[in-house]
Amino acid sequence: MRRLAAFAKHVLLLLWSALVVVPFVLICLLAFRSEKDIYNYPLGLGGSFTLENFAIAWWGPGGDTGVGIFLANSASVALTALATNLAFGAPSAYFITLLSGKVRRRLIRVFLVATVVPLVLLVVPYFQLFDFMGGLNNPFALGFAYGSVALPTTVLILTAFFSDFPHELREAASLDGLTAFGTFIRVVLPLSKGALVGTSLLALIFVWGESQLAVPLLQDPTAQTVPVGLLAFRGQFQGQLGPIFAGLSLAAVPIIIVYLIFNRFIAKGIALGGVFR
Amino acid sequence: MALVGLFFVVPIVQAVTVSLSGWPGVGPVEIEGLGNYAAVLASPEFYHSLLRTVVFAVVVAFGIVSIATLLAAAVSRRVRGARIYRVIWFIPGIAPAAAVAVYWNTAFQPEIGTVNAIAGLLGLNTNSALLASPSTALYPVILVSIWSGVGFAFILILGGMEQIPVSVYEAASIDGASPARQFFSLTLPLLRPILSITATLNLIWAFNNFTTVWGMTNGGPGLATTTLPVLVYRTAFIDGQFGEGSAIAVIAGAILLVLGFVSLRITQSRGVS
Repeated sequence: MRRLAAFAKHVLLLLWSALVVVPFVLICLLAFRSEKDIYNYPLGLGGSFTLENFAIAWWGPGGDTGVGIFLANSASVALTALATNLAFGAPSAYFITLLSGKVRRRLIRVFLVATVVPLVLLVVPYFQLFDFMGGLNNPFALGFAYGSVALPTTVLILTAFFSDFPHELREAASLDGLTAFGTFIRVVLPLSKGALVGTSLLALIFVWGESQLAVPLLQDPTAQTVPVGLLAFRGQFQGQLGPIFAGLSLAAVPIIIVYLIFNRFIAKGIALGGVFR
Repeated sequence: MALVGLFFVVPIVQAVTVSLSGWPGVGPVEIEGLGNYAAVLASPEFYHSLLRTVVFAVVVAFGIVSIATLLAAAVSRRVRGARIYRVIWFIPGIAPAAAVAVYWNTAFQPEIGTVNAIAGLLGLNTNSALLASPSTALYPVILVSIWSGVGFAFILILGGMEQIPVSVYEAASIDGASPARQFFSLTLPLLRPILSITATLNLIWAFNNFTTVWGMTNGGPGLATTTLPVLVYRTAFIDGQFGEGSAIAVIAGAILLVLGFVSLRITQSRGVS
C-alpha cells in the first residue's frame, strides 16, 4: 500500500514535469522543421532540419516587422521600465522605512491598494493619456508607464527588505559624516544587490509578457513588443506554423534562460512578498 | 508618490469620466451622464460576459489551488529532485503569456496540434477542434490558464507547508494517523490561510486575464470566450465605443477591487503583508 502510494506520487511528479516542459521543447523543435514535416510529424520526431523559419520570423511576413524589431522594442521597453522602476522604487522604499510608524503604515497601505488596481481599469485612460502626450506607438513611453505600474509592488518588496537593514551600519555611516542620501547610495544600495536583482527580475518578467496595455498602445507594427507582435503573427502567417514556432522560441527562450540562471533571486523576491500580475 | 498619482489616481478618475461620456477616441471628453452604464446594464452581452468571466475565474482558481496543493504535498516530504521540480514548474508562469497562448492555440488544432497528435498516439480521435466550437472553446482556455498558474501557487503553498513544524506530524504518527489522514486533518486546516490567499489572488488574476484569452481565441468563436477584459478591449478599441468600454471597465474594476480588499483583509489579519 505504502509503496503503491510512493509510486503514484512519483508518477504524478513526473507527469506534471512533462506537461510543463514538453510544450517548450516542442516549440523549439518544431521551429527547426519545414511546414511539410510539421504536418507529417506534429510531435517533432521526424523530418529534416532547417533554419528557414527563423529567417522568416526574424524579418516578418512583410520583411520589415518581424521578431527582430519586436525584440529590439521589447528591450527598449524593458530597459526604460527597469530604470524607472528602480530609480523611483528603491529610494522611495528606503526612505519609507525611515519614517515614523504611523506615516509609514499609511504609505504602505496606499501602495498595497495600488497593487490591486486592475489593468483593465487603466487601459482606456492610458490610451487617452498617451494620445494626448503623443506617446502612442512609443516603446520608451510604454516602458515608463510599465516602470510606474510596477512601482507599488517594487516598493512593497523593497520596504520589506530595507526594514531589516541593520541600524548600526546606518549610524556608523552618519558618524562618518555621510548624509542620509549618501548613506543610501554608498552603504545601503551596495549591500542590497540581491533584493534589487530579485525585484528587477520580477519586473522584467512582467514587462516581457505584458500585452493588455501594449496591444492598444502599440498599434503600429514597427513599434510593437514581442507579445503584441506574436499575437498578430497568427493572423499574418495564415496557418504557416514554422515561422510562428520560430517566433515563439525567440520570445520565450531568453526570458526562460534568465530565469534559470537567476531563479534563486526570483524565489527570494517572491518570498519577500511580491509578484506582478 | 507623484508617479503613483500620475499612473493610478489620474487614470482612475479619467476612467470614470470617460465612462460618463460618449468619447469617440479623439477630441475632448464631454460628460453626458449615466447613459453608458444604462446601456451596459441593459445589454445581454455584458451579462453573458460577466457570467463567463465568473465561471472562468472560479474554475481556474479552484483548479490551480487543487493541483498546486497536491503537488506541494507530494514534494514537501523531501522527494528526490524536489529542487529541480521547484525550478521547472515555474517556467509556464515565466514564459510570456502571449507566447504560451499562441502555442496552445496551435496545440488544440485538429490533426496537427500537439494535443490531437498525442490523442492519436493513445488511439483517440485526432480531429477534435475544441477551440472552434462555441460550446467547448472555454475549456482549453481554462486548462491553459490553470497550467500556467500552478507554478506560482505551488511555491506559495509549499512555503506554507514548510512552516508547519515537523513535530506536529511526529505527534500524529505516534497517535497512529495515516499519511492521508494527516494530510486532511492536519495539513489542510493549518494551511487554510495560505490556501485562501492563493485562491483569492488567482481568482483576481483569472478575472483580469486578458492575454491568455485574447491570444487563444480573441474572445471567440462569437462571444463564447469573451471575458470582461476582452469585452472592454473589443468595445473600446475595436468598436470605438470608449465610453461604454470604460463603463464596463469601471464595473469590472469595482468587482475586482472588492475582491482585492477582501483578500487584503485576509492577508493583513494574518500579518503576512
